[in-house]
Amino acid sequence: MRKLIMMAVVFALAMVPGTALAQSGEGTVTVVHGVPDLAVDVYVNGDLTLSDFEYGTVTDPLTLPAGDYDIAIRAAGADAASDPVLAQAVTLPAGANATIEANLDGAGAPVISVWVNDISAIDAGNGRVTVRHTAAAPNVDIVANDGALFSDVPNGAEGVADVPSGDYNVKVTAAGDASTVVTEVAALTIPEGTNVIVYAIGDLEGGSFQLAVQTLAGLQAAPNGVPTGTGGDLGAAMPAWFVAMLAIAGVLIAAGGTAGLQAARRQR
Amino acid sequence: MRNALALVATGILVLGIAIGAWIVSRPPVGAGDAIAFEQALTSPTTSGTPSIPPTTTSPPEDRPVGTPDPAASIPQFTVGKYPETRSRIPVTLHIPAIDQDAPIVAAGVDPNGDMEVPDNVNDVAWYRHGPAPGEPGSAVLAAHVDLAGQGPGVFFRLHELEPGSAISIDFDDGNSETYRVEARTLYDKEELPTAVVFSREGPPVLTLITCGGAFDERVKRYDGNVVVYAVPMGDETTS
Repeated sequence: MRKLIMMAVVFALAMVPGTALAQSGEGTVTVVHGVPDLAVDVYVNGDLTLSDFEYGTVTDPLTLPAGDYDIAIRAAGADAASDPVLAQAVTLPAGANATIEANLDGAGAPVISVWVNDISAIDAGNGRVTVRHTAAAPNVDIVANDGALFSDVPNGAEGVADVPSGDYNVKVTAAGDASTVVTEVAALTIPEGTNVIVYAIGDLEGGSFQLAVQTLAGLQAAPNGVPTGTGGDLGAAMPAWFVAMLAIAGVLIAAGGTAGLQAARRQR
Repeated sequence: MRNALALVATGILVLGIAIGAWIVSRPPVGAGDAIAFEQALTSPTTSGTPSIPPTTTSPPEDRPVGTPDPAASIPQFTVGKYPETRSRIPVTLHIPAIDQDAPIVAAGVDPNGDMEVPDNVNDVAWYRHGPAPGEPGSAVLAAHVDLAGQGPGVFFRLHELEPGSAISIDFDDGNSETYRVEARTLYDKEELPTAVVFSREGPPVLTLITCGGAFDERVKRYDGNVVVYAVPMGDETTS
């Protein structure tokens, strides 16, 4: 049931330079801000689409036509013509669910990360937890309810697991050192049919380390069936007309039998 | 003597006719027609399907990186909130037409991937991962038709409900809501339309499910599900 997908920096959506793929349909994009101390404006294809975006916040998903996009991030209020802090060309395939994140790499430099979110159906009763290490911090272990969930996750990597829905105590610890707790979430709710994506962001040494959470709901599957009877009592009762016919048949057979016996006795 | 034989023969004939007629005429318990109702539920106009709606926005054209697209109409991102909580849950079910008043317990999924159903034949299970009654989508209440050792259950007579029958539900916030039966049908278990029955989108529907159809003595299992669909009558009352 539990699957662990470790990926180095995911650039699955990375740009095919200068070309627009001929794709129909749409994709879904969410933006996460994981660069501390910098409110930003986000430009898509030169248009301001998100202004004064604060550290630690996550947008709602936005449906966009599939195709190529130029993402540019500037300090909040900076001139639209000024050089962006970060820029990246991204291809959004039809049907994809992507997250574009501005975050710190392992050395503390701002980067844009593009993630492909797992929106495959989740078995009934389960939720999905995705953990993405996008902070300037050493490798970490993720512990859920005192059991190892993901181990030795480096910056730029993610872990994905389907788990029974419910509340989990989640700890982020130094890799291989359970006693060094980086952060702890007392009760992280993993709703049924929902992919809860947790981003570790910020700079651990600089004190800006924190978590940001994105949720993708609606991935549930229906139960297989509804088993609601083992007694066999249903339909066992005989309908009234059937009982009446049985009675008539019984009377006829009894009468005929009696008459036959009497006739036989007389003949003796 | 001949008369006596004729009587016995007639009796045996009546017996044979009765058994034959019963076998031929015995309808599957709970059979009904819910196709039209289900189609209305799943039609695009009443149900938000998971597929992405069509757009009139054309994809960006090939152009140098960084050049603004004058025709671009990119929607704005918004920052949302998390998480949402459920406002209320159902606690008691009343079905006057079959003389049932039963407690409702929240239920999830069993190890087989089936909907959990209570061990007690007198309890009704509400599928807690789906909508509560009155919320968009299909709120599922399931109960045993019967259980070996416990006898008939809350939904033993579910197959008797006809369109128009009233069902009411008490909630944990003290309010009650009444529903009107719209359709009833019997499915082979393998053909239960789980995507419809457990839908989390579309208009609010109350879906009652139990077992029905033929009983297989060897595996102690019915081969079908009786499904009753009801809709809110909009008469929410505070008790």
